Amino acid sequence: MGEAPVRAEGLSKLYRSRFGSRTVRALDGASFRVETGQVFGLLGPNGAGKTTAVKILLGLTRPTAGSGFLCGRPVSEPESRRRVGYLPEGHRFPGYLTARQTLSIFGRMSGLDRASVSRRAPELLERVRLSEWADVRVKKFSKGMTQRLGLAAALVHDPDVLLLDEPTDGVDPVGRREIRDLLQEEAKRGKAILLNSHLLSEIERMCDRVAVLRSGKVVAEGRIEDLTATGSHYRLVADGVDEKLLAAFRETGASVERVNGHFDLTARDLGHLNALVDRLRASGAMLQELSPVRSSLEDVFVGLVREGEPKKETPS
Amino acid sequence: MRAFTASVQEVFREAAARWTLIAYFALSTIFILLFAAAVNLDIVDGALAGMKLFGQSVDVGDNHIEIDKLVLGFESTFSGVLYFVGLFLALFATAHLVPRLQEKGTIDLYLSRPIGRVSLLLSRFTGGVLLAAADIVYLIGSIGAIVAWKTHVFHPRFFLSGAVILFTIATLMAFAFLVGVVTSSTAVSLMATYAVFFLAAILALHDRIAAAVSTEFAAKTVQALYWIFPKTAELGQATVALVAGAAAPERLANLDHFAVYGSTALFGVAALSLASWLFSRKDF
Repeated sequence: MGEAPVRAEGLSKLYRSRFGSRTVRALDGASFRVETGQVFGLLGPNGAGKTTAVKILLGLTRPTAGSGFLCGRPVSEPESRRRVGYLPEGHRFPGYLTARQTLSIFGRMSGLDRASVSRRAPELLERVRLSEWADVRVKKFSKGMTQRLGLAAALVHDPDVLLLDEPTDGVDPVGRREIRDLLQEEAKRGKAILLNSHLLSEIERMCDRVAVLRSGKVVAEGRIEDLTATGSHYRLVADGVDEKLLAAFRETGASVERVNGHFDLTARDLGHLNALVDRLRASGAMLQELSPVRSSLEDVFVGLVREGEPKKETPS
Repeated sequence: MRAFTASVQEVFREAAARWTLIAYFALSTIFILLFAAAVNLDIVDGALAGMKLFGQSVDVGDNHIEIDKLVLGFESTFSGVLYFVGLFLALFATAHLVPRLQEKGTIDLYLSRPIGRVSLLLSRFTGGVLLAAADIVYLIGSIGAIVAWKTHVFHPRFFLSGAVILFTIATLMAFAFLVGVVTSSTAVSLMATYAVFFLAAILALHDRIAAAVSTEFAAKTVQALYWIFPKTAELGQATVALVAGAAAPERLANLDHFAVYGSTALFGVAALSLASWLFSRKDF
């Protein structure tokens, strides 16, 4: 595997008030990386440091410690952003520009020549369903349209890396689906995508990996399947399971409960699970489904965030 | 370079969209057309024999008025007026360039592109100066051409006055950029820059003020401020003197040009350098 296009290494950021009397630690040694073709989600409650991390990667804010790299270059170099597309949260394109002019200005600012911009702009406007609005001034756009234009502007120079802050903010459900499809298409084309979103369902649908930030630190990172797996807890659906078999399961140390037409089964490990399956088949019961039980990403997220909250004192 | 030129172009697009550019050119055009249509001169043997203003004859008496001197007088007065009016309009039209760039949700869009912060700031500055230059060239060029057409007198120095006006605009615009970077406020940038203009004009009387103050420290402060601030009053006089040439009054002809232009240029370069340094270190 080559060098990851997005690398954050021990990023810390301490904000000081104007006269230095108050400090806020927005990031505290956060590290993560986004590989080629990967959609990576950055999660965290408000104030966890997600936006600060993205801003450091784009050179908008300087880190107090640590370093960031984009496409192999330190983020302090403007050239590191040559192959990067960014969609900021709450972006404001100049209202006097039309959609086409917006793509022209920002495409050229990303190093494209006029001919390339003229070729690329209609394609992108078509892709984000703004063709009919190409020559309308941006100030007349709805929030969802502005968001789609922002995505087109981030893609105008066909970047290798996409950093997206709340990309579906203000977009209707159909538009949201289209944006999801578009981003997945881009990931398939080999782009590294860093997604910063509050919408956990979006993250769950789109991302291959996530990192959860809490108080500026990465408290969990991994594949969504791994983070949401609950270990040795399974859902079992089978015909012909009687109380005798369940008692036999419990004798081996397994925990098993009948719940609404299926069984909640907890085994010690995979070997134990296989032994239970062998026993079930030997008893003549018919196995229909055996699947690991997962938490939702929301459960994992809320759990991680609550772990870091100060414990409430209870009266004795 | 593409990023730089795209940013410069955007300054023009913005000026056009906000009607600043169109309003200025429309007003200038009305003035030029009125001037072209209203003034008709009758010149005999290089002297003014008769004059009509809006079709009405103006009594020029029996005085022998050399047309060359008349044109020189008009052009130097016009350049003096344009110095003040053009400067104020140009600053008014460009003071928002930095504060608006630094707005949340806008700055991210620009800085996430492969352009250095200093280049971005300088591209806005270049755009602003070019915008002011376009306005001045249009007005001075048109008026100069009309005067030459009506009088057959051509003074290249009149066109050079535009360069002095532009130099002053660029210096004060650099200061407006500095205030814009620090405060992110168009109103404060504009007020602070106009304040510098007037304070610097008052400091033209530095010797008299220094003699009038009661302590030596205050006198030295006045003198120091005079040398730090741009020489706005002297540059206005220099604009007139440049056009008038040999015909300029003695006090204008004897201006210490090195001190006037040199110290003003230093002020502008220092303001723009400081603005660039602060902009490049700012967290957004």
